[in-house]
Amino acid sequence: MANTVDLRDWQEPPRGENTYQKITDAVTRVVERTRPPKAWYIAFGISLVWLSILLCCIGYLFWMGIGIWGNNNPVAWGWPIVNFVFWVGIGHAGTLISAVLYLFRQNWRTAINRAAEAMTIFAVICAVMFPGIHVGRPWLPYWMLPIPNQMDMWPQFRSPLAWDIFAVSTYFTVSLMFWFMGLIPDLASVRDRATSKTRRFLYGFFSLGWRGSARHWHRYEKAYQILAALSTPLVLSVHSVVSFDFATSQLPGWHTTIFPPYFVAGAIFSGFAMVVTLLVPAREFFGLKTLVKVEHIELMNKVILATGTLVGYAYGMEFFIAWYSGSQYEGFAFINRAFGPYAWAYWTMISCNVISPQLYWFKKIRTNMVLSVIIGVFVNVGMWFERFVITCSSLNRDFLPSSWGYFTPTPFDFLTFMGSFGLFFTMFLLFCRYLPQVAASEVKGVHAAQHHAAH
Amino acid sequence: MKKSSGARMWRSLAEYENDPEFTKYLHNEFGTPLTDTPPNSAERRRFMQLMAASFSLAGVTGCRWEEDHLLPMTRQPEGVIPGVPRYFNTAMELGGVGVPLRVKSYDGRPIKVDGNPDHPDTQGASGVYEQASLLEMYDPDRSKAPAQFAGGKATETTWEEYRKFGLKHFRDLGQANGAGLFVLSESTSSATVGDMKRRFMQSFPQAQWFEYEPDNRDNERQGAKLAFGEIVRTHYDLSKAEVVLCLEADPLGNGPETIAQGKGFAAARNPEAGRMNRVWAVESSLSPTGIQADHRLAIRSAQVVALAAALEAEVAPKVGQTATQAAGAAKFLADEKIKKAFDALVKDLVAAKGKSAILVGSTQPPEVHALGHRLNALLGNVGSTVSYTADDSNPELRQGLANLVKKASEIKTLIILGGNPVYSASGDVDFASVLKGNITSIHLSLYRDETSHACSWHLPLAHYLESWGDSRSFNGSLIVSQPLIAPLFQAPSIAEFLAWTTRDEVKDGQQLVRRALGERAADDKAWRRIVHDGGAVGSMGSAVSPSLQTLKAVSLGEAALADLNPSGPLEVTFQADPKVYDGRFANNGWLQELPEPAMKLTWDNAAFINPKTAAALKIEDCSLVTVSVEGRSITLPALMSPGQAPGSVRLVLGYGRTHAGVVAGAKAPVAADPVDPVGVSVYPLRTVATWDAAQGVKLASSGTKVKLATTQDKHPMDDIGRQGTQARLPQIVRQDTFANFKETPDHVKHAVHHPKLLSLWNDPVSYEGYKWGMTIDLNRCSGCAACVVACNAENNIPVVGKSQVLRGREMHWLRIDRYFQGDNPDEPDQVHNQPVLCQHCEHAPCEQVCPVGATMHSSEGLNDMAYNRCIGTRYCSNNCPYKVRRFNYFNYALPLTEDRNEIERMAQNPEVTVRFRGVMEKCSFCVQRIQNAKILAKNARRKLKDGEVHTACQDACSTDAIQFGDLNDPTSKVAQSANSPRGYALLEELNIRPRVTYLARITNPHPDLIPATAAEEAEEVKPEHHG
Repeated sequence: MANTVDLRDWQEPPRGENTYQKITDAVTRVVERTRPPKAWYIAFGISLVWLSILLCCIGYLFWMGIGIWGNNNPVAWGWPIVNFVFWVGIGHAGTLISAVLYLFRQNWRTAINRAAEAMTIFAVICAVMFPGIHVGRPWLPYWMLPIPNQMDMWPQFRSPLAWDIFAVSTYFTVSLMFWFMGLIPDLASVRDRATSKTRRFLYGFFSLGWRGSARHWHRYEKAYQILAALSTPLVLSVHSVVSFDFATSQLPGWHTTIFPPYFVAGAIFSGFAMVVTLLVPAREFFGLKTLVKVEHIELMNKVILATGTLVGYAYGMEFFIAWYSGSQYEGFAFINRAFGPYAWAYWTMISCNVISPQLYWFKKIRTNMVLSVIIGVFVNVGMWFERFVITCSSLNRDFLPSSWGYFTPTPFDFLTFMGSFGLFFTMFLLFCRYLPQVAASEVKGVHAAQHHAAH
Repeated sequence: MKKSSGARMWRSLAEYENDPEFTKYLHNEFGTPLTDTPPNSAERRRFMQLMAASFSLAGVTGCRWEEDHLLPMTRQPEGVIPGVPRYFNTAMELGGVGVPLRVKSYDGRPIKVDGNPDHPDTQGASGVYEQASLLEMYDPDRSKAPAQFAGGKATETTWEEYRKFGLKHFRDLGQANGAGLFVLSESTSSATVGDMKRRFMQSFPQAQWFEYEPDNRDNERQGAKLAFGEIVRTHYDLSKAEVVLCLEADPLGNGPETIAQGKGFAAARNPEAGRMNRVWAVESSLSPTGIQADHRLAIRSAQVVALAAALEAEVAPKVGQTATQAAGAAKFLADEKIKKAFDALVKDLVAAKGKSAILVGSTQPPEVHALGHRLNALLGNVGSTVSYTADDSNPELRQGLANLVKKASEIKTLIILGGNPVYSASGDVDFASVLKGNITSIHLSLYRDETSHACSWHLPLAHYLESWGDSRSFNGSLIVSQPLIAPLFQAPSIAEFLAWTTRDEVKDGQQLVRRALGERAADDKAWRRIVHDGGAVGSMGSAVSPSLQTLKAVSLGEAALADLNPSGPLEVTFQADPKVYDGRFANNGWLQELPEPAMKLTWDNAAFINPKTAAALKIEDCSLVTVSVEGRSITLPALMSPGQAPGSVRLVLGYGRTHAGVVAGAKAPVAADPVDPVGVSVYPLRTVATWDAAQGVKLASSGTKVKLATTQDKHPMDDIGRQGTQARLPQIVRQDTFANFKETPDHVKHAVHHPKLLSLWNDPVSYEGYKWGMTIDLNRCSGCAACVVACNAENNIPVVGKSQVLRGREMHWLRIDRYFQGDNPDEPDQVHNQPVLCQHCEHAPCEQVCPVGATMHSSEGLNDMAYNRCIGTRYCSNNCPYKVRRFNYFNYALPLTEDRNEIERMAQNPEVTVRFRGVMEKCSFCVQRIQNAKILAKNARRKLKDGEVHTACQDACSTDAIQFGDLNDPTSKVAQSANSPRGYALLEELNIRPRVTYLARITNPHPDLIPATAAEEAEEVKPEHHG
């Protein structure tokens, strides 16, 4: 097993006095506790309330129609699409951490990959929900799927929305498989330590008969590598395809070739910020400080700094190209974005996305857990505004000034968006409670390698 | 079933079984079949049964001359193919002038109103009122049965009850020779009503008859009297005029003569044919004519008289006559811009002697009309562009109500035939208190309105589409109305009511009309001919040549002489609303939601005010202002209106209805669910003396802001938006001067410089067969919006209400964009109209992005929508650069679950799908009309001929600005028009190849008034490289 890890490349393995036993204890203790900490109940209660609000909003939406939101004639896509892109972006960190960093042998990822992958899955579920309910007839979005039928009705494959379906569903499937596969050895650990029959059955069922034989490990590692190789291009493709929704249209402010890399960078940026935002409190509450260390958070903050700078560069480049193209509509779209009726949103975005991560040049700030969470929240707010600015400020003033309008959200826009956080946190908290939050087996693998190297 | 003996005929199983209900209907011929079970509470099937019973048994006469009875289509009449529409000529009367119409009827149900193409007054075109009158007939808020009112509370009653009351009441009155009997009617040119009036006066010799009309032509008639000593009607032939001066006249706006004038205007603005008139507009508020004018002078309404007098003083000596007026001393004439324009105008008029026309608006005082006649005579226009016909209509319609109120003490019984005088009385006439007195008042009207609630009896009145009648069109010819459907609510026409009241031996509406027309309709064949043609062909009013009397010098008041300082004296003008007229169409959703031509305001009225004047008075946009004149005041929102004359505030009539219906507003107990009035009534501010305009106005802002639902500039425009608009405007609305056009006709084609437009794809279809296309001539479009209402009617476009318009969700497939051009947002140099509808792009951006293929290209180049397939991603709308796609955010179609919608749904075109919520919709180029025409052509085994397919908007257009047809046929009108050197595609640089071609606007400014920089500006174009 040790052979599968290249010792030369690892950088920051979990260090210290951890033994296999201690690692297993630390990880499975959370799952095995009869009662989670009080904070969990409070958080879960709040999440459930928001989830119920979301369900009520969706029910009302089905009953009344899309008009309960603020969408209007020039701005036909409002918050639901903003939220969709936002959540897909959040869902980027998981695969990046588990696949790309795995292939690059960034062993520090083992501390965070499980939680990040879970976050990916839940974020993609939240994301997929939005295009599903934002269509005018929300009981029909399956018409976008290529389902053979005797009426010969088929999706229209020139539409980027049809590409989206494939990009997002592939991403979701692969992420889910990757996550689940990584869970198997840990689920088996929980099964082996289980004291009740139900737990033994359920964890046993999902650990698919894992016994930890060498052959199991061999197959496991191979499959893990293959899945990692499969999902790596997805990290780039899914958000590139999402960006095509905008880039292949002809709306000034959308129709730009920079969108795919810019969206991917933004997605990693927001995904990492979300992981930091979630993991810092989690390691605090669940006593995982020995596994998820300050160094890990600092490394992630470095990624946030790098991608934040990339995003800032993209903002500047958009303006340059808008001017350089000489197209008056394109030029106007960007001036309007920065100084028009949506200037407030634009400058919120710039402050959060470009200015706040620059603080990470200072090590003191990078390693300060409270500031990390605050900046992580800022980045997520900024990234939400980025999608809002792109979607709404481009649509509100396009070619013919006669149709210009302004988008004002309704309370249902707010409630649906907040409700999606309810859905996300409900799932995340259930995950924290019932599944191993840290990939214990992988941590052990790295640990073993470390010991091996030390001898 | 009971057994019966012998051969027996029966009409229904009910009769066969001697069902008592049936027997009741059978014998209760003049009974009340609908009041017992009103249709709004019956389910549809039951409703149709009741309708059938009432149609066949009520003894109401038929719509087609071959038959006497209007019958439901339960049994197919001979020669009628179900589903094939039939057309009938009829007429609608508005303000005493008839408009000849042709109505499309679908299985016995009128569904579309258009102008009568064979009549010179409409030539097939129509206006917003005519188009929307269809919805009025199907309005579920119409009165369905007689009612008695006491203290504003209604007691439902029946015709039978009324007849019991009426028989005795009028018998008693007849015995008293009609003493104390008063009648108040609207103005009408109907010979039938005239005949019935004569008979009525015979029956009740001491009765007194008054006429009242809130919007009238008194000024014109009195002006003619002033000028000629007799009342004449003035007709203008704009097609012959080289120079047209409109003194607050709006020949392209709303009015009985505008349709014919629009045709003349269009003929004189045809640059390809080398024909371009020059239009000068002098007006206080921005009108469709002002928008199209080559030069527009915005001055106060009260100053027009000073300008007209100064014009007479200048022009007379130049044509060798003595001026009757003193030279212009008004301060505003000294204004540099006005003076320059005035001098050019004088020059222009004198140069075009005999080929000019001076038109005076109906809101100008009689002196200005007299000056207009004088100027036309001086310039030798009479006989060439101006002609006169005799006019015997009442010249004192505005005093009618005041005169009636003066006799309040004598009134015992008052019959009010139509109209809504309690609502439309001016502020100085207290008509409501007359009705409060101890009198019997009977009000006949379509709705139970403000007046009905103040009367003791209300009786429903038949709509023009339900009754026989006649009227005189503007050119004086006799036109006839025939019913397209039996009255939906058992209501008589005015003539039928009078016949019953006078116990006339003739009761039937058709016979009443025939009797009134006398000789002309005596012979059955002649009568059939008249009904078929919609009137008597060639019965125009007789031309007269009145002699001009010497005019006195007009005395100019302070307001007339003031300067143009925005903080100078204030005036308000009262104008009939271009949508709801005097308030009678207020409950019409199509009209309430129609954007007003100048400011695109819907669902409200406002004080239209010049932004500089507003700034001087510290009034902000959309804030509530209190307008006070002589102690009377109203409070309504102010709307900043560029183009409004400084110091002049425009108010429109027709809003603030309290007893109209669920659309325009209804207080309890009119509606169980009270609806706030739409807008504010301005009638209380008006007096008989200040009918058209009032001076000495005070405006005070309360600071409270309200939301006004405009369909353009929905969000206040900032400087960036304004600059962006001005920068792209020359490319969107292209224009050129006539002089430049003659030199380089295709100059406008180069307004946008773009690289060679190449495409990644081949054409999606080959366009074999037909290739449908449209052209829109910006040089002709007046922005009157008749096309928009026509599109509403044809395509079942839903009305969404103010809250949805505020959200930017109006559903109009066709909109008319209005742009102000110029660097100063308060004083635009020019105003443009641009109708925009789906451009049916060959490389349609919407088609590419639909994930389910719900919008596809047809082989004839139509961009089709498959509503059933649409799931509503709205991506197509985002990708449409024209933003013409409309999304059903809610279920805007009338829900079937509501009983009241049963009636209104009958107005819908059965050939067009009613869209459910969640689907996208847009202009289809009236694909149903194309298909119908193709079926007919295919049956005849031939190709379609040019002109066989008309879109609804094209039909309605009075200036022929819209052409539609096959672009594959090089001889078709549309192909020739599209090939015009002025043709351009909107946003052509996007390479989406729109199928609509706009023809650039050509202006014909006076050479003295072309700014030195204009020519250079025209050259300055910004290149557009997409991408």
